[in-house]
Amino acid sequence: MADIVFRNVTKRYGNIVAVESASFSVDDNEFFCFFGPPLSGKSTILRLILGLETCDSGEILIGGRPVNTLSPAERNVAMVFQNLALFPHMSARDNVRFPLVERKVPAAEIEKRVAEVSAKLHIGHILHKPPAQLSGGERQRVAIARALVRDPAAYLMDDPISALDARLREETRVELKRIQRELGKTLVYVTHDQEEAMSVADRMAILEKGQIRQIGTPEDIYDAPASVYVAKLLGSPVMNILASTRDGGVTAAAEGAIRIAGSVPAGEAAENGVRPEDIKVHPWTEESEGRPAKVFEVEPLGGHTVVTLDAGQSRFRALLRGQPDIRTEALVAVSCEPARVHYFSAAGRALARGAAPA
Amino acid sequence: MSAIHLNSLVKRFGDFTALKTMDLEIANGEFMALLGPSGCGKSTTMNMIAGMEEPTSGRILFDGRDMAGVPMGRRGVGFVFQNYAIFTHMTVRENLSYGPRMHGAPKAEIDKRVTAIAGLLQLDGLLDRKADRLSVNILQRVAIGRSAIMEPAIFLLDEPLSNVDAAFRAVMRSELKHLQRQFRQTMVYVTHDQLEAMTMADRIAVMDHGVLQQVGSPLEVYNNPANVFVARFIGSPGMNILKGRPAESDGGLVIDLGPLGVTPALPAELAAALRRHDGDVLYGFRPEQASLVREGRGLSMAVTFVERIGARTILHLGEGEGAVKVVTDNDARVTVGETLIVIPDMGSVRIFDAATGRAIGGR
Repeated sequence: MADIVFRNVTKRYGNIVAVESASFSVDDNEFFCFFGPPLSGKSTILRLILGLETCDSGEILIGGRPVNTLSPAERNVAMVFQNLALFPHMSARDNVRFPLVERKVPAAEIEKRVAEVSAKLHIGHILHKPPAQLSGGERQRVAIARALVRDPAAYLMDDPISALDARLREETRVELKRIQRELGKTLVYVTHDQEEAMSVADRMAILEKGQIRQIGTPEDIYDAPASVYVAKLLGSPVMNILASTRDGGVTAAAEGAIRIAGSVPAGEAAENGVRPEDIKVHPWTEESEGRPAKVFEVEPLGGHTVVTLDAGQSRFRALLRGQPDIRTEALVAVSCEPARVHYFSAAGRALARGAAPA
Repeated sequence: MSAIHLNSLVKRFGDFTALKTMDLEIANGEFMALLGPSGCGKSTTMNMIAGMEEPTSGRILFDGRDMAGVPMGRRGVGFVFQNYAIFTHMTVRENLSYGPRMHGAPKAEIDKRVTAIAGLLQLDGLLDRKADRLSVNILQRVAIGRSAIMEPAIFLLDEPLSNVDAAFRAVMRSELKHLQRQFRQTMVYVTHDQLEAMTMADRIAVMDHGVLQQVGSPLEVYNNPANVFVARFIGSPGMNILKGRPAESDGGLVIDLGPLGVTPALPAELAAALRRHDGDVLYGFRPEQASLVREGRGLSMAVTFVERIGARTILHLGEGEGAVKVVTDNDARVTVGETLIVIPDMGSVRIFDAATGRAIGGR
C-alpha cells in the first residue's frame, strides 16, 4: 500500500504560513494533482512528502506508516526532476542505474532492477543510447525509470513539462497519464496549467495561500466549484463571474444582459457564475428580451470561437462552437440555461444550484 | 504606421541557415503573427526587422525604404520581449514616461500620454506604485505600455504572454487585439502558441525549419492548410492525418486507409482533383469536425484515452499511425475500450500528397 495521508499539516517559514492545516489522502495507485497559482503551497507539499522539509504540526503517513521523523531516504518516495532532466554524458542505462550505483547496491541486483523497470516502461531497446539520441517521449520514460528503479512506494513530479512548447505539452501529458496507468503506482503531481491538471488527474486538490480549497475529480470541481476562487481557476476561458440582480422577479446577470428565467437560487446570491460554453449568443432583434450586449472582440480558434461581450460595465466571454459570423461592435442577445448557472454568496461561497422550474 | 516588405531575406549563422529566402509583405496597420516551433526562424526574422541582426542577403523595406544599415534606434520600432524589461526601482508612471522623457518631450505632453496609455491598459490606479511590488501580469502590461507610449510605427512583440498565467493570458489576448485595432500600428507578433496567433492576428505566417510554410488569415490556415505541417501545427489538437490511397467505390471516390477500412466518399470537387493525382495520399480531418456514432459507415476505432478538460473532451482513438483525436463537448459519455464509428464531416476533409505533404485540390 502506498497511500499518502496528511492530517492537519502546517508548515511555516518564519512568519509566512506556506501550508496551513492541510488534510487530504492520496489513494494507492492514484494520479493526484495539486493545482494552484504560484506560492499557493503546492511545491511545499511535495517537499513535505519527500521529507526535504519537516512540518511544524500535524501528521504525515505514507503507506499507513507515520513518517514525520523519517529522513528522505527512509520514506521511500522518489522525485522525478523538473523538465525530466537526464545526465547528457551518460547512456540511458547509466542514467537509470545511477540512483542504485550511488547507494552502492550490488551489481547483480542493479542489473536485475534496471531490467525490471525497463521492461515496465518499454525502454529496453533504447538503453544503449545517450539522451541526445532519444525522442522527447523516450527521454521522459527514461527519467521516470530512473526515479522508479529504487522501487519507491510513490513518485512525485513538480511541474515536469512546463518548459515544453504548447503543442508538445498536449502530447506529453497524455503520455504521462498512460505511463502512470500502466505502472499503477501512486503519483503526486504539481502543475500550474489547469488544462494539464484536468487532463491527467484522477483527483485534484485546489490550493490558495497554503490552504486546500477543494478536493475532487476534475469533472466534479469543474461542474461544481465550491467558491468563486476555484471557479475562476478552471476553464479556458475561465468562468464568468457576474453581479447578480433581480429584474421583475427574474434573476439577471451582466447588468440585465443575461436573464436567468425560472431559476431559484437557494439563499442570497451576490454573484452568478456562467461558463463561457454555456452562453448562447443570438442576433439582437426587436423581440429580444432584457438588454443587448455589445461584441468587444471575436477570437477564432478554428473549432470554436471566443466572443468577448460588454454589457454596461460587465465584460464576459462566450465560447461558441464552429466559426459563427459575428462582428465586433455588433449588438447581440445573450441567454443561458438556468440549470447551468452557478450561484455564489457575497463571501464567494457556492450556494445550491438554482432548481429548474418543475 | 508602416508597411514592411521582406524580399528574399536569408540569414545564416556559420553553416546553419536560420532563415531560407523569406518573402513576406506586411500591410500598413496589419497584425501579423510569425508562428512556428522553436528554431523555425521566427525570432531571427523579427530581430532582423528590429535591426538587431543584419540579413545575410535580401532586403527589408519599411514603406519602400531600404533598412540596410539603419540602426535599431532609427527604425521607429517598439519592442516588447518575453522577459519584460522594467525598471523595478521606478514607479509605473516613471516607467511609462521613461521614453518620452529621454526624448525631451514637454511635461504636459508626457502627462497626457501617460494618462491615455494607462487608461487603455487599465493601469490607472497603479501609476504611483513601485514596479517591484507588482505581479508578473501587471508588469507585462507596463512593458507593453512603455513601448506603446512612444507610438512606434511598427510594434514588435516576441512571446510577450508566455510568462503570464493562463487566465490573464486570455484577458490580454482580447485586449491586445483591441488595442492594436485602435492604434492601427503595424504589429508583428512572434509566438509558438497557435492559439495566440489564431485569436489575435489578422494574418499568420506559419514557419518551420527556416521556411515560410503558409501566409493567411487564421481561418484560412485552419480551414485550408497548404501542407501537412500547417495542418498539424494549427488547431488544438492539430489535424488528424491518416495514410491511404484513392479507390473508386459505388458512392464515388474514397480513400482506402488499409487496416482502418475505407473512408466515406469524398466531395465531388476534391474527388476530381484527386483523380488527376498519382500515388499515395494523406487523409486529413479536424478533431472538431467529425461525428461519433455507435453504428454507421465510417472509421471504426477503439477509444484509448479520454481527456475531459472543461468545456471540451478530447477522445483519443486507435493506435500508432492510425491514431486520431476527436473533440466533443463535455457531456460526452464515452469509456476507454469502447469502439466507435468516426465520420469526418464531408466538407472538412483535406487530402495531401504523401510524398511532398502538399495539399491537393486546395482552393
